Amino acid sequence: MDKPRVAFFDFASCEGDQLQIVNLEEDLLKVVGAVDVVSFREAMKGHSDNYDIAFVEGSITRRSDEPRLLEIRKNAKILVAIGACATIGGVNLLKNFQDLESVRKFVYGDKFFQYETYPARPIKAVVPVDLEIHQCPINRDEFVMAFKALLMGKKPEFPNYPVCEDCKKAENICVFEMGMTCMGPVTRAGCGACCVVEGSVCWGCRGFIDHPNADSEREVLAKYGLSVGDILKKFRLYTGFSEVSK
Amino acid sequence: MELKKIDKPDLGLFLQNLIKDFQVEGVKRKGQSVYGQSFFYGSINAPDELCLDFDCTTMPPKKYFIPPKEELLKFTIAPKPEVAEVIESKPLIIFGVHPYDLKAVNQMDKIFSEGNPDPNYLKRREGILLIGVDPTKVSPRSFWNSMEAASVSSGFDLMLTDIGESYLVEVGTDKGGNLLKKYAKVSSVTKEEEQKRIDVRSKIWNMCKKRALNFPMRELPSLLVNSLNSPLWDEKASKCLSCVTCNMVCPTCYCFDVWDDVELDLTHGQRYRRWDGCLASDFAKVATGENFRETRAARYRHRFLRKGQYLFSKLNDAACVGCGRCAAYCLPDIADPVDVFNRLKEAVK
Ligand code: SF4
Ligand code: SF4
Ligand code: SF4
Ligand code: SF4
Ligand code: SF4
Repeated sequence: MDKPRVAFFDFASCEGDQLQIVNLEEDLLKVVGAVDVVSFREAMKGHSDNYDIAFVEGSITRRSDEPRLLEIRKNAKILVAIGACATIGGVNLLKNFQDLESVRKFVYGDKFFQYETYPARPIKAVVPVDLEIHQCPINRDEFVMAFKALLMGKKPEFPNYPVCEDCKKAENICVFEMGMTCMGPVTRAGCGACCVVEGSVCWGCRGFIDHPNADSEREVLAKYGLSVGDILKKFRLYTGFSEVSK
Repeated sequence: MELKKIDKPDLGLFLQNLIKDFQVEGVKRKGQSVYGQSFFYGSINAPDELCLDFDCTTMPPKKYFIPPKEELLKFTIAPKPEVAEVIESKPLIIFGVHPYDLKAVNQMDKIFSEGNPDPNYLKRREGILLIGVDPTKVSPRSFWNSMEAASVSSGFDLMLTDIGESYLVEVGTDKGGNLLKKYAKVSSVTKEEEQKRIDVRSKIWNMCKKRALNFPMRELPSLLVNSLNSPLWDEKASKCLSCVTCNMVCPTCYCFDVWDDVELDLTHGQRYRRWDGCLASDFAKVATGENFRETRAARYRHRFLRKGQYLFSKLNDAACVGCGRCAAYCLPDIADPVDVFNRLKEAVK
C-alpha cells in the first residue's frame, strides 16, 4: 500500500498548532515515517498539490482566502481542521463583534485600506470539513490519536462530555467555588482541564460539546455574579461563531 | 468486638511507623473554597499531613479501587496476534475513611465480585487496608444518617473514633489487628470510654439529621417505580449541563468506558478503561449510533433510578450513601437526592 500523502496549510493563525506537530519529539519521526509529507511550510521546503490528507490551521478572515481553501478542498480526499482558529474561529472571531473598519485601522494604521478583511470564520463555514482537532493550540496526544485513526481508516473518537469530567478526575477545586467563573460545563473535554489544573479557568477553546446546555450555563454564570454583558463576553471569546451560525 | 485505645500523642507515632513500611494515603487539606477548607485524598509522607477532622472530601477514595484511567490489556496485532492481561496493584493503607464511604466500598466489593468478577478490581482491593474514622463534622449537604450509612459493621480493617483525649480503635479484621500490634502503642478500654464512643457517635449522627429523607429509605424502590412519569424529571433536567460531575464525585458510581489504543507502528497497543458516567450525553450510545437515553430527562432520571431502585434490587440497599457530594458540586444545584426523593414522596402522598 502506498503511504498516504499529507500536506499542511495555514490561514489566519499563529502557527501554534503546526508548531505542536513539529514538537512531537520522538513521535514526530514515526508520524513522518508513516506518511509522505508533501507540503509543510513550518518544517520543510517544497510543495506539491498531489495529496490525500490536508491539515488546515487558522481561520478564514478575507474573501481572498476562499479560492485557496476551495483548491485545498478539491485536492484533498480528507480535510482536517486543526486548532481552535480552524475549528471554531478561535480568538480571531473577536473582531466580528467590533467595527471592522476600526479594527483594520488599529492593526494596520494608515495603510489599513491595503488590507482587506471580512468577519472571521472557521474552515467549516467555507468548505465541508471531515475532521476537527480542537484546542488552542491542539494537544499533541490528541493529534497523534487522530492521526493513527486516519492511518487505520477509522473515525477518531473525540470526547463529547464537558471539561468538568476531566477536571473532577484531575481533583481540582471547582473555580466557581473560589470566586471565579468557567466555561468548562459546556466545553468539549479532552485537554485534561489543563487550564484549571494550572490555576486558571476554562475559557472554552475546545468549543462546545455537541449539545451544550448554554441556557443553564448562562444561569450558572449569572448565579455566580456575572452581568449579562460579561456572560456574553465569556461566550464570545471562543464560541461566538455559534451565535451567528444558529 | 475488639476495642483498643490510642492516646492522641501516640497516633502520630503509629502513622510514622506505618509510613516507614507502607504507602499511606489519607485526607489532606487542599485550598480554601467559599465553603471553607477543601479536602482530598493523597499520599501521606509525614504524620502532620494527615487530617482526621474533615467533614467530607471533594472526591471519594474510589480512585484507589478503580483508577480514573486504567490499562487492562496489551495486545499485538502483527506479526502474530497476542493478548496479555495487565493487572496492577500495590499494597497501600488508606487512613481516614468515613463510614458512608466505607459502605460505598462494601457495595463495590459486592458488585465487582459477583456475576462476572473483575480481576483488576479484586487484585487491587486485596492489597488495600482501610482505616476508617468516625466523622467529627458534618458537611452542609450530607444526609448519610438517613441512608443507613452512619456506621458500618464491616469493611474496615481498623475503625477510629475521636473521644477527646484519645482515639478508640475497633479491630475489624486480623490484618488490622496485626497492624495495631506491630505499629501502635495501644492500651485497653474502660467501660466509661466505651460509653463515650456511643455518646460521641450519637451526637454526630444527630448533627446529620438536619438534612434527611422524610420517609424510610427502604421505601425508595416503590416510590421510584411509582414516579417514573413524574414531571419533576423534566423540570430538574432542563437545567442539567450533562457535565457528569454528579457521577465523578459519587462514591458508588463505578461505570467505565473501554477503548483500544494502538501505537504509531500499528502493530501493537493497549486496552484501557476510564471512568464514565450516566449523565454524559453519549453514555448510552451504541455502535449503530442509537442512543438509548437521548434526552437529558431520561439520563437525569436514570441516575436516581440506579441509586434508589435498580441497584436496590441487587444490593438490598440504596446505592446512595448520602455523602452529599453530588448536591454540593452540581453547579445548577439539581442533583441533590434528598430534595428529589422528598419531592417525589410529596407528590405521591
Ligand atoms: S488555535 Fe490557537 S494555536 Fe492554533 S492557530 Fe489559533 S491561536 Fe494559534
Ligand atoms: S472548574 Fe470549570 S471545568 Fe472544573 S468543574 Fe468547575 S466548572 Fe467544571
Ligand atoms: S481547559 Fe478549557 S480553555 Fe483550557 S485547554 Fe481545556 S478547553 Fe481549552
Ligand atoms: S452535576 Fe448536575 S448539571 Fe452536572 S450532570 Fe449532574 S445533574 Fe447534570
Ligand atoms: S448519589 Fe450523591 S449523595 Fe448519594 S452517594 Fe452519590 S454523590 Fe453521595
